Amino acid sequence: MSLLTWDRENVLDPLREFERLQNEINQLFDYQPRQRGLFDRALTPPLDLIETADSVEILCDMPGVAKDKLELSVSGNVLTLKGEKLSEEPKDESKKYRQETLSGSFQRTISVPETADPNKIDAELRDGVLRISIAKREEVKPRQIEVKVK
Amino acid sequence: MSDKELQNQRRTIRPLSEIHEEDGKILLHIEMPGVAKDGISIHVENDQLRIYGRRAEDEVKGSYLLRERLVGDYEKIYTIDETIDRDSIEAVMENGVLHMTLKLKEEVKPRKIEIKTK
Repeated sequence: MSLLTWDRENVLDPLREFERLQNEINQLFDYQPRQRGLFDRALTPPLDLIETADSVEILCDMPGVAKDKLELSVSGNVLTLKGEKLSEEPKDESKKYRQETLSGSFQRTISVPETADPNKIDAELRDGVLRISIAKREEVKPRQIEVKVK
Repeated sequence: MSDKELQNQRRTIRPLSEIHEEDGKILLHIEMPGVAKDGISIHVENDQLRIYGRRAEDEVKGSYLLRERLVGDYEKIYTIDETIDRDSIEAVMENGVLHMTLKLKEEVKPRKIEIKTK
């Protein structure tokens, strides 16, 4: 005796399986990333993370973000960047000709290399580019060791 | 063109914009992060409005662990029609966004014609 009961209806109708597949594929086309939770995931500012000899530099493009709308926090070696870009909403929606820019809240978390010292962070916002400079730990900085000749 | 020349040539990026009309003015907001006030040049030639933004050199010597930002200068050419007053174009640079105001000519603004009764 079989432990599973046959779902006769499904087995005998192979077309039903195709129908299900078709529905699933159609759903993929309808899929739109929805804004979920606190932050809009569609908005992520591009950034460069560069390791130099004595520091770790982060450059991040964020045009139109005011200094007071930006929040930078650090915990361990994880740097969190939060901000909000206000939109240039027109009074009259029908007079809008082009909208390529995005606006809203964004958040980005970056793991900085272990060699960086999170206590020595310097951040500057200029011309829509945020520049974060994290000094490296003293012990990992390249040092020249003098060789003494006796 | 030799390889060297190609290397030295700076790439141009098409900046993202937001354009709308308000109170008889066309407002353009063009995102150009990394461009200082001095790096912007705006030219009007016949019916072309050419905006060029030279990005300040921010190249950092080191090894890139992440590289997502675009490299290059910004350039955008718009075609403007007769209704725009070429002499009163204003531009303000703020936080890496160029805000431009193009005024419409007085004669094309909608106006009310009063009917006189005699």
